[in-house]
Amino acid sequence: MAEKSKYFKDRYDVIVIGGALAGMASALTLANKGKSVLVLEQHNLPGGVATSFVRGDVEIEGTLHEMMSIGPKECPLKIRKFFDEMGVDIEWLRVPEAYRFVDGKTGTDVLVHPGDHGNFETPAKEIADACGDPDGALYRKILELLQLCNTVYNSVNVLSVTHMSKVQMLLKHGEFVKTAGYSAKEVIDSFHLPQKAVDILSAYWIYVGDVLENLPFTVWAVLMADYLGYGSYVPKKFSHEMSLKMCERARAMGAQVEFGQRVDKILVKNGHVEGIRLANGIEIAARYVVCSAYPDKAYTQMVEPLSEVPPAALKFVNAKTIGVTCFSVVLLLDKSPEELGIKDYSTFYAAKGMDMKEIWKEASTDGPYNYITSICTNLANPGCSPKGTCVYSITNLPRPEGWFNVTEENYDEMRRKNAEYFIDMESQRLGVNLRDHILEMVIETPVTISHYTGAYQGSIYGYMHTMDDHIVARLQMGEKENFIQGLSFAGAHQISGDGMGPAVTNGRKGAKIILDMMEEDAKEGR
Amino acid sequence: MKIKGFLKDVGGAGRVTKRRQEVFDNASSSPKPYDPIGAVAKALHPGFLRFKVEEVRVASPTAKTIRFVAPHFPYFMAGQFMTIRLQIGDSLVTRPYSISSSPFQTRGEHPFVEITVRKPRADGFVADYLYDNVKVGDEFEGEVGLGEFHYDAIRDAKNVVALAGGSGITPFLSMAREIAFGKLDMNLTILFGSVSEEDIILREELEKCVCDKVNVVHVLSGDNPNWKGEKGFINAELIQKYTHGDTTYFVCGPQAMYDFVRKELEKLKVPARRIRFEVFGTPRDITKAEGFPLDKADKTFELTVVQGIHETVIPAKATEPIAVALERSGLKVHTACRSGACGFCRVLVLEGDFFVCPTGDGRRAADKDFGYVHSCATYPLSNIKIKLNIE
Repeated sequence: MAEKSKYFKDRYDVIVIGGALAGMASALTLANKGKSVLVLEQHNLPGGVATSFVRGDVEIEGTLHEMMSIGPKECPLKIRKFFDEMGVDIEWLRVPEAYRFVDGKTGTDVLVHPGDHGNFETPAKEIADACGDPDGALYRKILELLQLCNTVYNSVNVLSVTHMSKVQMLLKHGEFVKTAGYSAKEVIDSFHLPQKAVDILSAYWIYVGDVLENLPFTVWAVLMADYLGYGSYVPKKFSHEMSLKMCERARAMGAQVEFGQRVDKILVKNGHVEGIRLANGIEIAARYVVCSAYPDKAYTQMVEPLSEVPPAALKFVNAKTIGVTCFSVVLLLDKSPEELGIKDYSTFYAAKGMDMKEIWKEASTDGPYNYITSICTNLANPGCSPKGTCVYSITNLPRPEGWFNVTEENYDEMRRKNAEYFIDMESQRLGVNLRDHILEMVIETPVTISHYTGAYQGSIYGYMHTMDDHIVARLQMGEKENFIQGLSFAGAHQISGDGMGPAVTNGRKGAKIILDMMEEDAKEGR
Repeated sequence: MKIKGFLKDVGGAGRVTKRRQEVFDNASSSPKPYDPIGAVAKALHPGFLRFKVEEVRVASPTAKTIRFVAPHFPYFMAGQFMTIRLQIGDSLVTRPYSISSSPFQTRGEHPFVEITVRKPRADGFVADYLYDNVKVGDEFEGEVGLGEFHYDAIRDAKNVVALAGGSGITPFLSMAREIAFGKLDMNLTILFGSVSEEDIILREELEKCVCDKVNVVHVLSGDNPNWKGEKGFINAELIQKYTHGDTTYFVCGPQAMYDFVRKELEKLKVPARRIRFEVFGTPRDITKAEGFPLDKADKTFELTVVQGIHETVIPAKATEPIAVALERSGLKVHTACRSGACGFCRVLVLEGDFFVCPTGDGRRAADKDFGYVHSCATYPLSNIKIKLNIE
């Protein structure tokens, strides 16, 4: 090893590149197993996009809309359970509703609430009623569909940590097996619901990516079951509370976490990881690295020498489709939500109708975008801004390619154009000119994401869930997709894909792969 | 349950796995990284740059303008500031300066940025250093385009009245220039408070920007019998006189001026969203801040600095921010606004007591719970141990 540093130990068991949610979940898991862990984060804060910022003395949530897989204290779901096990104690606030869905073309306007403990009667009833359901037949069909989602969801939770034979799987997890080969559209179609009900049920779709024709039902089912059957949560002190508490807990468990440290290279020799090199030339030894940078970046720029990257790894990244990025306007407004007529925490607004293919086409451009999600933080977290003000964010999730024509010169124009479009669109829907109430405004773009996190192409969603890269296939093939011994990945690009809940799961997966590799190496005397 | 028939249904997992395998088998195995978004992010936020002093010129009897050149500067917004890192003796210090040149001047064949430094009064040894020592050819390192003090066409009224005091004129000169170049569409009236005519800095440069969209009004507070223009302080009456319709007020100047102007704008019932203050640093004398324990004022403590697995112990005065103590000992701390707001200089207090400057405290709520502080605006009140980022 070349340059050494007085700031680091001679060697760590594992180096985690990136201190966002996934990296921290990896660090917690590994530290909990007694490994010596070093987390290197390039920013001066943990969390990546799970962060907050302060403007005009007010702390404002950076990106989180709602966390899935938390559940109430007495009945914790997967992520809350993990935090409980690790001693990460977060003050969670329940989001009051699932969402309002507004279709600007058909006039559909419906408020959907989640059920509790996997009960879907409330959302099923609300959606059926909005579509007209004199005899309750539609209610029963929607309920049946959501219960199917729940069955699949429960199976996914079991199967992601258990191995079993195909026969056993078919016996115990029949619904999961039987829906695995289909797109969300194929399964939904088999229920023969009216289009309006399908539109309402599709609102969350943007949170996972591809259009329903090409989105695995399994993924859609997990999303629907978790949000509509159990409700969602936000941390009282914003996602920074979650990120920071994970970070400090990892430290308390013995991990060394360092900010402002950019890793340039992952050093590999004879097929095995040897350490990393920081941007300033310092090399640190470790036989295992959990990498939060995209495999695209790792396999083409970070691994040194690049000759250690097998062709299969390049095929892997080239076969995948990079998921969406984010465009968001965050406003601090000088009136309360009541004064502005803002009634809902979360609204999905299809301004020109719920034509998914059209919306998806728009997502591949630099705007304007007509499918947006608005969040009024105060309606889940009333004390989050001073009395008489509120925080309101308007978001679209475009695909990175829509922003490939961005330059230093046109960037300001691109972001302004979209920000104005969003503000005016929401002003019209709410019947109040938001421009007359702006105390502070922050525009978050794919470039902002790239700047703060270094994420490849500014993507926040890893690899898109598609029928070509099906989650079930990912699970079955996953074991052969660790191409360099000692290297695993933790981030939205890991198996579970996008979202802050899945980020934690992805981090645990990255750690699990390393633990398995350690065992394997020990067995083989490496 | 049945979707399309039992056999087809149960074969699904195998089908999608085979499909995925095929897609992967057919994919290219040559590396094709392509990230134009990342490239723009890097160009806009290059971090620390190196630049060279090309020119030093007199801006008034008490101020100098320094021009820095570099092959490339990132886009910034008129009103933003830059930082400059200086090695002065054993100290490694960073200070923020509003940029007085216009963003447009960083484009074109000969990109440059300018700052104007005043011959300082008692405190700032850095401003002192630049004013007295800077010379053509000197090279510095710093960051360009920081801070939130800039016009925003979506948020702000098109008519802007700038209330400037002393060297607080610099961000407005940048705005005026950008307007004069036709690159910024807003109407700017600058009410510029100085003590006397001789005291006015950058006067000629400001005059050059005057056009149908830029108006400069000098307001002299001293005893100036020959002065025909506006006199006294920038009060409600004067502000009213130069306000036409919906207006956003931008304020930049010494702290005393902020307190005064805030009250005057209140008298005019200007809504909060129409007033924007530039951050103004920490008080010259922190012992006058509300809540500062005066019995600690003359104390010097031991500051243990933990960086990774390494520890250093340095002295730290109760009346100086932790960042200053670090700088005096030659330790690198990444600062920008020097006002407690931006958080670049965030450190974790592991042990010990401290005082946080009550104005401009930009800490996040969860950070407060764990003892993270912004070291440029936090003062030690006992022996103290902090965790500082490794540089």
